Amino acid sequence: MGRYIVRRLLWMLVVLLALSAITFFLMHAVPGGPFDREKALPPEIIANLEQRYHLDEPLLQQYARYLYDVFIPHLSRTPPGRSLMDDHLININLRVGGLWLKWMNFGPSYHSLSRTVNDIFRQQLPISAQLGTMALCVALIIGVPMGIMAALKQNTIFDYVGMSVAIFGVSVPVIILGPILVWIFGVELRWLPVTGWGASPPYILGFLPRPSVEFFRYAAMPSVALGLGSSAIIARLTRASLLQVIREDYIRTARAKGLAERVVIVRHALKNSLIPVVTILGPMFAALVTGTFVTETIFGIPGMGRYFVTSITNRDYPVIMGTILLYAVFLVVANLVVDIVYAYLDPRIRYT
Amino acid sequence: MRTKLFAVASLLVVAALALTACQPAGTPIVQTVIVGGTPMVVTATPAPPPAGPKVLHLNMGPGDIPTIDPALSTDTSSVQIVEETTVGLTRQNEETTALEPGMATSWDISEDGLVYTFHLRNDVPWVRYNAVTGEVEQVMDCSEEPQPRIVNAYDFEYGILRTLNPATASEYAYVLAFAIAGAADYNAGVITDTTQVGVRAVDTYTLEITFNEPAAYNANIAGMWVAHAQPRWLIEGDDCTEGQGDRWTETGFFQGYGPYTLKEWVHDYYITLVRNPFWPGSDNIPQAAIDEINWVMLDEVPAFAEFEAGNLDVAGVPSAELDRVRADPELSQLLVIAPVLCTYYYGFNTQAPIVNDVRVRRALSMAIDRQALIDNVLKGGQEPAQWFSRPGLAGAPTMADHPDLGVHFDPEAARASLQEYLDETGQTADQLNITLMFNTSSGHQRIAEAIQQMWAENLGINVQLTNQEWAVYLDTIKDPVATPQIWRLGWCQDYPDANNFIREVFAVGGSANPNGAGGGGVGWENPVFEELVVQAAREQDPAARVELYAQAEQILVYEDAVMIPLYWYTRNTLTRPYVTRTFSVLGGLEHIEKWDIAPH
Repeated sequence: MGRYIVRRLLWMLVVLLALSAITFFLMHAVPGGPFDREKALPPEIIANLEQRYHLDEPLLQQYARYLYDVFIPHLSRTPPGRSLMDDHLININLRVGGLWLKWMNFGPSYHSLSRTVNDIFRQQLPISAQLGTMALCVALIIGVPMGIMAALKQNTIFDYVGMSVAIFGVSVPVIILGPILVWIFGVELRWLPVTGWGASPPYILGFLPRPSVEFFRYAAMPSVALGLGSSAIIARLTRASLLQVIREDYIRTARAKGLAERVVIVRHALKNSLIPVVTILGPMFAALVTGTFVTETIFGIPGMGRYFVTSITNRDYPVIMGTILLYAVFLVVANLVVDIVYAYLDPRIRYT
Repeated sequence: MRTKLFAVASLLVVAALALTACQPAGTPIVQTVIVGGTPMVVTATPAPPPAGPKVLHLNMGPGDIPTIDPALSTDTSSVQIVEETTVGLTRQNEETTALEPGMATSWDISEDGLVYTFHLRNDVPWVRYNAVTGEVEQVMDCSEEPQPRIVNAYDFEYGILRTLNPATASEYAYVLAFAIAGAADYNAGVITDTTQVGVRAVDTYTLEITFNEPAAYNANIAGMWVAHAQPRWLIEGDDCTEGQGDRWTETGFFQGYGPYTLKEWVHDYYITLVRNPFWPGSDNIPQAAIDEINWVMLDEVPAFAEFEAGNLDVAGVPSAELDRVRADPELSQLLVIAPVLCTYYYGFNTQAPIVNDVRVRRALSMAIDRQALIDNVLKGGQEPAQWFSRPGLAGAPTMADHPDLGVHFDPEAARASLQEYLDETGQTADQLNITLMFNTSSGHQRIAEAIQQMWAENLGINVQLTNQEWAVYLDTIKDPVATPQIWRLGWCQDYPDANNFIREVFAVGGSANPNGAGGGGVGWENPVFEELVVQAAREQDPAARVELYAQAEQILVYEDAVMIPLYWYTRNTLTRPYVTRTFSVLGGLEHIEKWDIAPH
């Protein structure tokens, strides 16, 4: 198992390298550049900007520079400075000859002129991760029981109501549900804050909010709005999968040997039926925690979602690269975790 | 039992007090409450609330403010903060656009109109917010007995040269580069000797700037944010200050000297400015009355919800909500529609087939019912545009003095103009193959569809609509070959002068006419027009300037019909009744030191 995980992580590096190359050359190939303005800038100004961001170098050299900055740890005598060009995610003072080990400089943003991509990771990512995790919890808490209920009481009122709610959840997007929730609970009843986020640094372990009533007051509406759509997907999958499993022979065997119905369902049926659900949880987790543009905009949450969208329209190259690599890391790791969970759910699955 | 009832009653009095804390101080509150089935009248006179700080809650719009560094700012939200935390040599009145003194109390102009000598005030210290004490404090210098650092001519000289320094890579450096002698060469890296740039501190409080042209707007340019004083010690470091480099604008480091200074900037979330008690105040830039300004960074729709929930003092109205706001007896009282110095227009590629004939262009322009477009599609109280330079700019004609100037809806004349062309070329209107391109957006789409329909109804021309993503689109409409027959753009002022509109956009080399007859943009050259806009820039008599610009506009929108002015921007703002405020025409750039909040 250990060797398997190491091998998967090494593969992740290969995936990230390939992805960075594709993204890098694709975004440079798209027409339009970061300094295109409605009021076209004079060539001298563009030359200064391109020099500052090394965009005047040949493309291959720029890519090599990017790989070096992001992937290769390097030693430096200058302490972490106040320059946006020299901002590394990891800075270790070696305490030997004034040397610093620096790693992962994702570069400055071309649009947010006072920030680096690392600043965005440090300040916006924890908030998106908090929202995404909360939303995923909402999705699981609503989705799994609803799916089980619908399967066990198939073709009864529970099934119909449950699946109607699921259809509603899938078909009403956040952009509709969000403002409705805001209007009811924020504007009319004034029970919950309309916009904003109730956690601020320092975070526990770098991303967990200090638990407080405020945090949950702020998180309630966006988590529900964001989680409801996912809960519907989970409910439908759980139902379909459980319906299939309870018709299997080994369930009949379990019942025949006189096990209580509750034990049959929880220990034998449910565990097996969760495999497809766990499969989609990986990508769902990666998508939710790296930022959700619409939800964050409607609820005024200072998360990452906006940067996924605006970096592309602004041709903000370092932010495009940074957000895409970040998403890839989350996706690969989440899928790895899913694969490990498979082994727990189904003893027949073994990795070597 | 009796004591218990008393306890309940006391609790209720406290509750009543708490509930009514928002009422005006000193107003007796009478409430009837039911205690154990017995109605009781509770009267309470709340004590006057402690005179807390006056805090104004505003919205900056979605996304982080790109920067608050004067040298790097380009957009309205950045400039808004810069203009409150630092003050230029001169300053634009935000309601009249008139030029007023800023840090310079007066200035002398040389005979030839090129050399400006600015006399600075000597009583404005650099300040910073101290989070530990919660106070704004003066910044001290490095001498043995530290003295406050007073903003001086050297700080302005440093600021201008820092903006122009190629290593700073300032976008708006070009405005200074074009205007100030030697600045273009320095900015382009041709020279590195800053003494050859026309900026010089003559003494501590006298700054001399040498310009390239004896233009009427030189003093405006000297007041622009990119030419504000900047704190060298904080950016580069000195004997008693740690240099913060690119990070000098962050919370905890920032130093300024304007009516407000930075208290807290939580990126992507909010920014708070706090009143600077050391700003001495002047006739046109008073000491601030409001203690704190807090801007959240919200999209228009959530910001409107926050306003309705009572958490914002000022908010824009989403166009979908405007009809409801107008019908609402309370909200309609708070609504103000104010002009914004921007123009929305369609440009013609005058070298492309069909629209290379002026009669077709003029017909298309006259066939658009701009008022109907505003009433039925835009619904934001915009003004129909008859020419390009937005009224309100210095030198721009206004509807009051030039009601018939330019182009307006006239379907008869439009049909006649088109018919002449059709007869000559032997075609019918439905054979004309014309494409209109805009950048992808549902708003531009709706406008284009409405105009497509007007052209079909009034002229019988069926125009094709097409769109491209913004950055791609910008390349397309400047390309000599790819520029479509008709394209869309808007323009907002950098500085409120007609020169910034008509000359910097449509004269040869302008942003919508990059190569003149070489193609791209409007691809147009008219020597009479070129002559008029240069003459107008140099004209010192305001009335004569307006006439010159009016002639140029007539050529642009009617005689040559190079572009179709569609509408002049306005904005719809709701303001709480207790906020006294000014309404800026400078593209939403407010001077909040003039605002106040009444007790409420």
